Amino acid sequence: QHLHSVAPAFSPYVPVSFLSYLAFVLLAATFGLAFYFTTLPKSTIPTREAVVAIVASTLGSFGVVALFCSVGVYV
Amino acid sequence: MTPSLGLRGWLRLPVLALASLSWSFVSATSHSFENTAIVRTVDLGGSLVHVTTTYAIRALDNGAQQYLVTLGEKEAHSTSWFEAKLKGQNEPLTIATRPLIPHDGTYAYIVDLPKPLGVNGTVNLVVESVLTHTTYPWPEKASQKDEQSLKYEGDLLVLSPYRTATQRIKVRAPAPRIISYTTPKGLDAFTTDNVATKSSATITYGPFSNIPPSASTAFIEEHQKHIVVHYYFEHPVVEITSLKRTAEISHWGANLNIQNDIDLHNAGPALKGHFARIEHQSQSYFNRLAPHIIPSLTFHLPPGIHSAYYYDLNGNVSTSRLRLTPSIPKAAQMKQYSTLELRPRYPLLGGWNYTFTLGWDSPLADSAGYDASTGLYVVSVPVQTVIPGAVVNQAEVKIILPEGATDIGVFPPFSPLAQERSTHITYLDTIGRPSVALSFENLTDKHNGLIYVTYKVPLSAHLQKPKAVSIAFGVLFLVAFLARRVDLSLSK
Repeated sequence: QHLHSVAPAFSPYVPVSFLSYLAFVLLAATFGLAFYFTTLPKSTIPTREAVVAIVASTLGSFGVVALFCSVGVYV
Repeated sequence: MTPSLGLRGWLRLPVLALASLSWSFVSATSHSFENTAIVRTVDLGGSLVHVTTTYAIRALDNGAQQYLVTLGEKEAHSTSWFEAKLKGQNEPLTIATRPLIPHDGTYAYIVDLPKPLGVNGTVNLVVESVLTHTTYPWPEKASQKDEQSLKYEGDLLVLSPYRTATQRIKVRAPAPRIISYTTPKGLDAFTTDNVATKSSATITYGPFSNIPPSASTAFIEEHQKHIVVHYYFEHPVVEITSLKRTAEISHWGANLNIQNDIDLHNAGPALKGHFARIEHQSQSYFNRLAPHIIPSLTFHLPPGIHSAYYYDLNGNVSTSRLRLTPSIPKAAQMKQYSTLELRPRYPLLGGWNYTFTLGWDSPLADSAGYDASTGLYVVSVPVQTVIPGAVVNQAEVKIILPEGATDIGVFPPFSPLAQERSTHITYLDTIGRPSVALSFENLTDKHNGLIYVTYKVPLSAHLQKPKAVSIAFGVLFLVAFLARRVDLSLSK
């Protein structure tokens, strides 16, 4: 089909060469935040714990996806 | 518009189209052409036979634009590739062959000429077709040291619904070593000279003159002759009984992974006796392997690939060498291929099979594009990696699109036998990936087109994976949160 030759080439959101470094950085941050999470004091309204958990989860998820791609699984 | 694939694909057709063709067949055979000369060249090969037929046609009526090319039943069933061009031009002509119904023992292809011809207007039509499964090894068994010889069986005369002034058929073997060929009898009505003459590698039948319209069972029964040519063939006959190609597209990794599951078969003469390793070693040492042995295969893979893998049931096979070439921009002409020389675990003797898996990764930018105005992604996947001279009996191409792809459009280069949509689940998938599976039959080395697939993936679908993993992490944190509040000490 002629659209194929005309359309600009695909580019991912994150350049591929950065993926392995990104994976390392994100997963290290996730590890650090998880550690911090375990040191937080217990409180009745766990705002701080929830915030840390959410941030760590999102960072960790992108880190895992980047990790998979950098080792060749290409999810 | 594109060359047709084979007879079976056409048999699944709506009835209306059938009715419309029979009407147009009748109207088109209103004797509006005459063939001044037909020359057919049959190039014999291993599993494939290339047939080139040149029709010099003269229009008898004004405004004649549709020319009918007819084939006999056996030939039509073995034709896997059919293309018509005007002599000297590269653009193939439109062939309105869908649907194709047999009429009076012949199968017809309607070729649309680009410009209507006036009375006595002439044009030269070149029709190329590739036949599969028309040759077989004879003798059927050969020892490790013997030569390989094949027999080709086919019909002699070119059938046409129009009168033919003169016709000549040349059968060309790949090497000037022809063992025997049939000299048909009973064609005195059309020729007075020698019917068959052989010179070096070519056997010429004809010329036959003044043949009436021959696209009818009556003519076939009375005048059509069967020929058998027995010739030596000095290359192995490669046949792929089944090819399963999976193309997986990843947007996060910007990668296109292509994996082929190949069942390789050596369609040469079966081995007589047992396989002697010492005989094989001495042949390899002197570099004079018998012609029907396949020691290795060369694949021409696309440029810019990396991480190629080759394994079979036993595990990884290391006897291969890959020479890579750098990436080229999307849709540029492929000038350089990455070459992979594969050596199976054992040399393939006649009748032997070998099943293996070959796959590679290539950057997605080489085959996909994104149109920002419509939000469509377009990706191109080659149908097969062509091995020159090989026939693929059955092929299935499965294209796995990223999760959440919608508005999927599939544009194959030639019509498939069947098309199926399903969902494929792999790593980090929640809803599964849509996949399209196309199945083909009898592919030849001319079937090297690209399948184009268009689809849309919204940003939300791209984020589906990180969302799923973050929910998993979140559950872990929740469990930890609850666990910290549970007191498990034994004493206060």
